[in-house]
Amino acid sequence: MSKDSKKVFVIPCSGIGKAYGLVGRQVALQVVHDRLPEETETMCLAYLVTGDAEANARIKGAACITLDGCAKLCAAKNVAMAGGKVIEEVRVVDAFKTHRGENPGTATKLTPEGWNVVNELTDQVVAVIRNELKGAVS
Amino acid sequence: MAEKLALLPCNGLDKSAGAVSREVALSYAEKNGAELVCPVLLNTAPARYTKLAEEGEEFIVLDGCATRCASKLAAQNNLKIARRVVLTEEAKKAGVKLGETLRLDEASQNLCKKVLEMLEGEAKEEKQSSQAVGFEAPSKYQILTHGKFQFRVPEDGFYFNENDCWVQVAGTRARIGVTDYVQQSLSDIMFFDPPAVGAEVEQFGEVGSIESGKAVFEVVSPVSGKIVAVNTELDASPELINQNPYEKGWIAEIELADFAGDQDLLLDAAAYLPILKKKVEEFHV
Repeated sequence: MSKDSKKVFVIPCSGIGKAYGLVGRQVALQVVHDRLPEETETMCLAYLVTGDAEANARIKGAACITLDGCAKLCAAKNVAMAGGKVIEEVRVVDAFKTHRGENPGTATKLTPEGWNVVNELTDQVVAVIRNELKGAVS
Repeated sequence: MAEKLALLPCNGLDKSAGAVSREVALSYAEKNGAELVCPVLLNTAPARYTKLAEEGEEFIVLDGCATRCASKLAAQNNLKIARRVVLTEEAKKAGVKLGETLRLDEASQNLCKKVLEMLEGEAKEEKQSSQAVGFEAPSKYQILTHGKFQFRVPEDGFYFNENDCWVQVAGTRARIGVTDYVQQSLSDIMFFDPPAVGAEVEQFGEVGSIESGKAVFEVVSPVSGKIVAVNTELDASPELINQNPYEKGWIAEIELADFAGDQDLLLDAAAYLPILKKKVEEFHV
């Protein structure tokens, strides 16, 4: 098994055109690029849905956290279909239920309220990954 | 390009060019009120976008890299592509060196701005050119579906002959071309042999030909008159007929001699559709 294959995949939905989708994408970028760059990586969902052999082989059996903007759950469904082990299924829309009335922003620009939720979800995802990695070591 | 456009970008989570394609699509849609298509949702729940395709919407497809996921998804769903942009190629043309990050750095933002300006410029030019000659893009299409094929027929403002050629009239001038059925039957059109400007043509006379790897198709004029212009863009890009036979793929313009008389032997969309249906069922492969 290569070093890379032990990384946890953090995979957001495309989120094209929706603020909640942008929240999910920003969470993934914060986790993968800023908080846990050695322990995580992301995967472009379009590779999985277009049947890219390499992407599908890499995801098979790997621990994945999916982030979906809407109830269609494209990320969770497609990762599961590709054989990824979804250890946490984050629904951005659920996170906003505890922030009732707050405006996340637009599909291109989040408001400070939107960024607050990004930061909260980032902490939540980081905690899940640390827990997962601790379990893998022990 | 049609007035109504939707944008299909790549998912943009692997390379910086992909992230730029996504940003271009979002910015274009926000500024110009165009529809956005989520590439993964298009694959997961294609019915969500069925209405767009049925209304004859055309798509600007934005691919980040040579893997061209957005183009693949567009092809899988039979979307009508008006324009295809590959961001890595645009970066090369513009001399922009993209970094590794998925976050938009200065170079990415510059490229995004350039591509956005290019697409908006093209749309503006298209609109001006269409207004200048008075030929309006079809506002609505009737769609005939046969297996995986969809044949579009403009609902209003176009007449047809039984040879699958159309005519659109503006004052004393007409624009002619071939129908969606012709371009789909021929497949990739490679050559365009134009009629001579200045030549007089009878109704049902030959006005040039188009050729693919499959066959040569002689364009049969739906009207009589004098050829006053040909679509010179087809010399270099005959594939425009495949991309949109009713707009950018027009063949020639004719100063009308007797449209009132010609009209007796022409069909409107409602009369042409049953003929098309029969042909599709009997001949189309």
